Amino acid sequence: MSEKSDVDLTGAKLNTGVWLVKVPKYLAQQWAKATGRGEVGKLRISKYVSFTLNEELTIIEGIEDKTVSAPRDHPFTMQSVGGQMLAVFTESSSDKIALEGVVVQRAECRPAVSESYMKLKRLQIEESSKPSRLSQQLSKPVTNYKPVANHEYNQHVHKICKRARADKQQVLEMLFSAFEKHQYYNIKDLVDITKQPVIYLKEILRDIGIYNVKGTHKNTWELKPEYRHYQPGEKTDE
Amino acid sequence: MTSLGGSSASTTEYTVRVPKNTSKKYNIMAFNSGDKVNCSAWTQARMERDLSARRIYGEEELPEGGAGSEFGKKQREEARRKKYGIVTREFKVEDQPWILKVNGKAGKRFKGIKKGGVTENASYYIFTQCPDGAFEAFPVHGWYNFTPVAKHRTLTAEEAEEEWGRRNKVVNHFSIMLQRRLREQERGEEDDDDADKPGKKKKKGGGKGGDLRIHDLDEDLEMSSDDSDNSMGDDGENKAKAKKDKAKGKAKKKKQKSNEKDALEDSDDGDYEGLEVDYMSDESSSEEELTKEKPNKQEEHPKGIDEASESEEESEEENQNEEEAKEEEEEEEGKKTPVQVEKKKKKDSSGESETSDDSDIEGETASALFMAKKRTPPKRAAGRGSAGSSRTSSRPGTPSIDSGSTSSTLRAAASKLEQGKRPPQGPSADSPAAKRLKMEPSSQSPGPSGKSTPQPSSGKSTPSSSDVQLTEEAVRRYLIRKPMTTKDLLKKFQTKRTGLSSEQTVNVLAQILKRLNPERKNINDKMHFYLTE
Repeated sequence: MSEKSDVDLTGAKLNTGVWLVKVPKYLAQQWAKATGRGEVGKLRISKYVSFTLNEELTIIEGIEDKTVSAPRDHPFTMQSVGGQMLAVFTESSSDKIALEGVVVQRAECRPAVSESYMKLKRLQIEESSKPSRLSQQLSKPVTNYKPVANHEYNQHVHKICKRARADKQQVLEMLFSAFEKHQYYNIKDLVDITKQPVIYLKEILRDIGIYNVKGTHKNTWELKPEYRHYQPGEKTDE
Repeated sequence: MTSLGGSSASTTEYTVRVPKNTSKKYNIMAFNSGDKVNCSAWTQARMERDLSARRIYGEEELPEGGAGSEFGKKQREEARRKKYGIVTREFKVEDQPWILKVNGKAGKRFKGIKKGGVTENASYYIFTQCPDGAFEAFPVHGWYNFTPVAKHRTLTAEEAEEEWGRRNKVVNHFSIMLQRRLREQERGEEDDDDADKPGKKKKKGGGKGGDLRIHDLDEDLEMSSDDSDNSMGDDGENKAKAKKDKAKGKAKKKKQKSNEKDALEDSDDGDYEGLEVDYMSDESSSEEELTKEKPNKQEEHPKGIDEASESEEESEEENQNEEEAKEEEEEEEGKKTPVQVEKKKKKDSSGESETSDDSDIEGETASALFMAKKRTPPKRAAGRGSAGSSRTSSRPGTPSIDSGSTSSTLRAAASKLEQGKRPPQGPSADSPAAKRLKMEPSSQSPGPSGKSTPQPSSGKSTPSSSDVQLTEEAVRRYLIRKPMTTKDLLKKFQTKRTGLSSEQTVNVLAQILKRLNPERKNINDKMHFYLTE
């Protein structure tokens, strides 16, 4: 999944200059709501740089108070990049990486302070200062169910019923097909699968398999090497 | 684009658009100003995610089905995780660093690490100007700080710490990497950087080679103490380092052998609290001072003198009560009579098992005869640990460390080291070659010496109170390194330095040679001795 790609250096070669602008959160949210071609406002550049938000985008969702709205005027504070070299690269959905350009100017977008802005801010602060955890009073008591590992339907079969010895050949077949799927088995699981009494099963296992006492697969049964036909990553017929 | 005649001179107005549904995600690639990166100078670049953290994060993948799998393994693992509340952090590809390769194989490489918290409180937008004059704003998805990646070999953190300690002593910095490479070679790693060595070329023979070798040993010695318990050694320290923090109880070291790397203590404040010290009648305090003085003195020796370095290392050990008892004894006593020297040598070297009685007697006479004299304690390679009898001898009434237990641990450690050394470039990654060399004779001793002998590793822990010990260990080292005549050997063990008269030197040397039984070769009509390892 590594995207090893050549970086498209056209932007760097053309020395495309871009601006890096820091924008307040609420403004970014408003911009996200833009419709149509995505026009959000106008940028006025003279001695000062300022951005004017479009009228329709000043309405903030979730706040019914009409007097509270996003301010329209946002002067930009221009900053120099300093010695630092900031490049812009893009990653496309097809994992292509391209260098778009180099940052030539940094700016911060600040709202022009107004009454409505102050109200907006106050609302924001109130909301963020609310604790996320509240204590509530409950009307009726809570019933807690303790977790149970062995549900009724989960009970191990070998605890409950007696098992009949099936034909040895059949058992062997069952075992071989089981061992095809996995190499190591616990005796309990084998009993579950084959539904045979333990002693009988162990006898059969002693014939065809070996018991791992130590190592990573502790206390597990596996087929003897001569019965094994494991291919790397493939299941084989026994 | 509309231009307004406007109030101020030449105000231009541009429309700002925020395009929706762009398939491209914009990111910032930040470089340090000091790196002087010029993007336009790049001819070619490749960038990919650095997924090396995946295998650290990802759990061991066992085959699910077929060979090697267990029935119900997954469920069991999940149940186990839930039971212990183990929460594994997801491995997110989005957050992984980038690796940027510029200008192909010979060009620069950069690693870009994601900067967190960029989009938390404010959003960054990239304003680009379109051909139609309008501005388009794109939100910045992530910010990556790119730093250049060194292509040359660097020291690891431990090695760097070491070198930092020696910074005042080391003049030739080229040798640092050189030593490291030599060390790696000894460990059997492939050394493929010969070409890159700046300056100093690797030489195996000749004076320079000799120097290098000595350096090597020193380095190794140094490393060993740092690296791993090789507590035997504490060879780690070069005289340059008066690392007190390395001084740990031998016993402790031995016991910590396995965790040595992790458990290195930096301060030795509480080290000796529980230890019982043999006290010489009135010299206890002076002992300490003297030992401390010794290491300081040692630091001044020029690098490259084997013996000095060895002894220095030992002096740095200092403060080792049990283990050190012997050395301290010697140190404070200073003047060693020939008898003492020999006896001690016997004790130390090579597993001649002196009985405790001997040591007892010796200890007493030692105290009687010795005077305070500064001397570097001999290298106590493995020997140190043996706490043992010699200590008790000079310090009556000090149960101190149970010599038995120590020696058994020591023996175990020694034999382990020996085993480690045996297989070429063996698994004993911790012990540099030199240490191994030293260890070997020592490890041979544990057997015969048994509990009574203090040092399982004879080797270095010669008591003599001079910089150079005429020990079997030292002779062995010389002979291994290159064939020498008896005259050469004698030169190495100058009377001034070993404190022996020339007659004694000769005698002792003869004994040692008998014991070692080196091979003979006639070079230039002179009989040379040499040993092969």
